[in-house]
Amino acid sequence: MAVGVGGVAVGAEQQATAEPVRRSRREVARGLLGSAAVLAMAPVVAASRPLPTAGPADAGAFDETYRGRRIQGVQVSDTGRTLVDGVWQITVDGRPLHLMRRADGTWLSIIDHYTSYRTPLEATRAAVDELGPHRKLRDLAPGRFGGEHSGVHTGEGGQHGVRA
Amino acid sequence: MVYVRKDVSTLTAGERRRFVNALLELKRRGEYDEFVRLHIDVYTADGENGLRSAHMAPSFLPWHRRFVLELERALRRVDSSVTVPYWDWTRNRKATSVPWTKDLLGGNGRRSDRQVTTGPFAYAAGHWTIKEGVTDGRFLTRDLGRAAAPIQLPTKSELQWALADPVYDVRPWNSTVRKGFRNKLEGWGSGSGSASWLNHNRVHRWVGGAMLGGASVNDPVFWMHHAFLDLQWTRWQRAHRSHRYLPAEPPGAGDAQHGRVVARHEKLPPWDETPDQLEDLSRIYRYG
Repeated sequence: MAVGVGGVAVGAEQQATAEPVRRSRREVARGLLGSAAVLAMAPVVAASRPLPTAGPADAGAFDETYRGRRIQGVQVSDTGRTLVDGVWQITVDGRPLHLMRRADGTWLSIIDHYTSYRTPLEATRAAVDELGPHRKLRDLAPGRFGGEHSGVHTGEGGQHGVRA
Repeated sequence: MVYVRKDVSTLTAGERRRFVNALLELKRRGEYDEFVRLHIDVYTADGENGLRSAHMAPSFLPWHRRFVLELERALRRVDSSVTVPYWDWTRNRKATSVPWTKDLLGGNGRRSDRQVTTGPFAYAAGHWTIKEGVTDGRFLTRDLGRAAAPIQLPTKSELQWALADPVYDVRPWNSTVRKGFRNKLEGWGSGSGSASWLNHNRVHRWVGGAMLGGASVNDPVFWMHHAFLDLQWTRWQRAHRSHRYLPAEPPGAGDAQHGRVVARHEKLPPWDETPDQLEDLSRIYRYG
């Protein structure tokens, strides 16, 4: 039974078409591809810059061992993604950790989405606390988040699952 | 036909079994992991550019209403008797309470690695391997009550504090607002530490493990939690009948939130509906 919501077929399972979803998912994926690409590009950007000089871009950079994990973080560039300042490249044992910025200037990690921390270092340490001694970060490579290359977004998208 | 979403503590043994089996079937088919992936993909924080559809935004409530409905539709394609039950965490507050029972979601994670080892979603049971996770862990994790630094679930009065605010949301429509029903329920507080986690956020923190990260949907309690939040939106609407979803109009070109929040009559990605169209779904389901 198709049950409309304000004229739109929220309940109309059979009327759902794949196309709007594909479009919107690509849009979502594109946004993520952007952020993942920033992470992936970061070493290239850093390598192609003039020799790093002390300055705001290096403020707060860290490289330490915390609970047996090597955590590294450096502010790599300002691509316009964040509103406050640049983008951070963070790794835990060499694997990228995705951080997000809150409007109040604090930081969230993908491991802990519901608590924010004053600095990237604090957010990274908190992520290590959550990881525990055995688990590793999943490597969120561009191909993984890039919808065009991911079966999650394309191959199966129109067949079942989350559709409008 | 309008169907009923029930308090999970009132489900019969048969209803519990059918709910669990429908979830396991979606997982087996690969559909469940698409829900996990979508939730990871839509998380845009408010210190970054881009549209915030699901979190730190007015559309937190309609987005998750639509998300739970989509899962429920998938469950009902498997078993038409199933609806998403809600977990009233103001009443069922212990790590041994419903829904943390062997016939529903299983219990807490074990101490060593937080792995859930009881119930139908335990890794060893063979039906719930984590595929869309933020770590390489293949098993569901929980840390109920946060063993290292214990916290309590939100109380009835903390929930009431949110419900009592007659205004849906306020400028700048993000995680920094201190007024408005939406963020009082979503739960972005100020400062750091345990006092900064309110209502919705605090429950994610209390469950811990998978529920704490971007892939929180991997724990099926996600749906029971969000069904309960959805019920709160319905209660708020009943209590404040002259108030509606805000913003009614998109922030203008000169506004820092221009293009970053969804107004009442704008489409709410990735769905085809607007918040206006999602404010009343009483023709589809109601809460028992």
